[in-house]
Amino acid sequence: MLLEINGLTKFFGGLAAVQQLDMYINEGELTGLIGPNGAGKTTIFNLITGIYRPTRGKVTFAGKNIVGKKPHEIARLGVGRTFQLNPLFGNFTVLQNVSTSFHLYPRSSLLDIYFNTASYRRNEAYISEQSLEILKLVRLDKVKDELAKNLPHGYQKMLGIARALAIKPKLLLLDEPIAGMNPSEIEFTITAIKKMQQQGITILLVEHNMRILDLCERVIVIDFGQKIAEGLPKDVRGNKEVIRAYFGGERVA
Amino acid sequence: MSNSQLPESMPFNFKIGGRKWTKPAILTGLVVIIALLPVFLSSAYIWHIIILTFIYIIVTVSLRTIIISGQFPLGHAAFMGIGAYLAGMASKWLDLPPWVTIPSAALITAGIGMLLGFPFARLRALYYAMGSLFFGIGVLQVIYALGEVTGGYSGLVGIKPLFVGSKLPYYYFFLGLTLASIIALYRFEFSRIGTTLKAIAQSHVVASSVGINEGWYRILAVGVGCFFVGLAGAGYAHYNLVLSSSSFNFMATLWLVMYVLIGGINSFAGPIIGTIILIIIPEFFRDLKMYAPFVNAAILGIVVYLMPQGLVSLPQMVRSWLTKCQNTKKVRHAS
Repeated sequence: MLLEINGLTKFFGGLAAVQQLDMYINEGELTGLIGPNGAGKTTIFNLITGIYRPTRGKVTFAGKNIVGKKPHEIARLGVGRTFQLNPLFGNFTVLQNVSTSFHLYPRSSLLDIYFNTASYRRNEAYISEQSLEILKLVRLDKVKDELAKNLPHGYQKMLGIARALAIKPKLLLLDEPIAGMNPSEIEFTITAIKKMQQQGITILLVEHNMRILDLCERVIVIDFGQKIAEGLPKDVRGNKEVIRAYFGGERVA
Repeated sequence: MSNSQLPESMPFNFKIGGRKWTKPAILTGLVVIIALLPVFLSSAYIWHIIILTFIYIIVTVSLRTIIISGQFPLGHAAFMGIGAYLAGMASKWLDLPPWVTIPSAALITAGIGMLLGFPFARLRALYYAMGSLFFGIGVLQVIYALGEVTGGYSGLVGIKPLFVGSKLPYYYFFLGLTLASIIALYRFEFSRIGTTLKAIAQSHVVASSVGINEGWYRILAVGVGCFFVGLAGAGYAHYNLVLSSSSFNFMATLWLVMYVLIGGINSFAGPIIGTIILIIIPEFFRDLKMYAPFVNAAILGIVVYLMPQGLVSLPQMVRSWLTKCQNTKKVRHAS
């Protein structure tokens, strides 16, 4: 198991956003996390990545307890993520967005920078080469010198994924990766997600779109911060609890 | 979509060996002119103004180094004061030579800035500004409280000069110091670290999601900024030889912020241009005495109203205005 969550609970004031959640993700798996609006999906992402600190519960990533660690420390362990509202470094170019995110690997000291040493230049060359590689993977290499904020929405979403890939994640959390995309962009994103999975990246995604959920090996359904169902996409779709959560009752279904 | 293909056809562009030399050539020319200025202007008063400009250029450029990391300090003049008072007191009471006091005062200022950075790295935006403002006020209170060694309200006197006699050696000393600081801070801003700082300023949530240790980088920015402002302050102490706490109070910080804003906060050259303009222009209006600040107020008003990006955007504005004029002419001819 790459990620294991036990009894995860988060209170905002008196409101329980996530309650006694148990879930796990196997290595190499593509898992979907679904639920109606306000069910707590993004909160779970924020709890895993350390933006929020859980009220109770345990999050274990690759055998290590990561509760209480800061977001950058969790990222360094290999948890990459994208954001639903997709904030980028808007005033940076596409290439800069990725190369800034290449922050972890080659290191340069302040003195290297002041004196522009050979090792600093070598590191920079290596980083821009690797960044271009990632941009090619998501087909953004043609727009690498555009400012990120000027990109169309679908491209920005892909750039968010490219940025998360730059940290060479073991686990990638995608928050609604295809929301607001047009059909050809959706097609392309799905191919890219498949490709990433083939490269050995474990993926957990939040999505409403059934096209992408059908790819998942397992789907976890949550409502009001609690897990209400889990299983293959087609099994989950017929689940009474799930129908009640989405449509309000059996009668409608 | 065509941002990347903008002005290639500037009038003075020339290439040697595939590299563009326009900018380096212009900058070298400027430095040579500034270095030769004392030959033509042999007035100690003008030298004094230019030396002060040199010192304040280091201060404002280092202020902007902190600003690019998304932190807006309102206590930067106090850090200059820390550097100045440390160097001054070391020179007066410990009798250390300037070559020791200046670098060590800069280092200690950087250390204080970084120590302060640990609690301050938790503050953002307005809260950071307020925290640094109160720190600045606190520094002045410490200077008053330790009146026996700092001179308190009456100021610190008895600092050993860097050079005896003429102001000319000072001119070249501060020219060199300013150039070295500008180059160091330029390299810092356009390095990987500077880019990381700008990333944090744009979105600290995204930055930490890719493994950037936000707090440490913000502390580093403050450390580098404070090192150079401490350097400028220490140099100032050994030049001016008298330190008055009012040079480092909240008003002094506001002036620094104004220099940066008028020059252009988004550009490296901004604080340099702002400092030059705002120190030199008011000198022409000295006869106005107590009304002289109105000149600065007028400059600020004009710049903010017409050039929100600061004075550095002036050439671009003129250029776009010219092309607009040409285009309307063409349209008129065509019709």
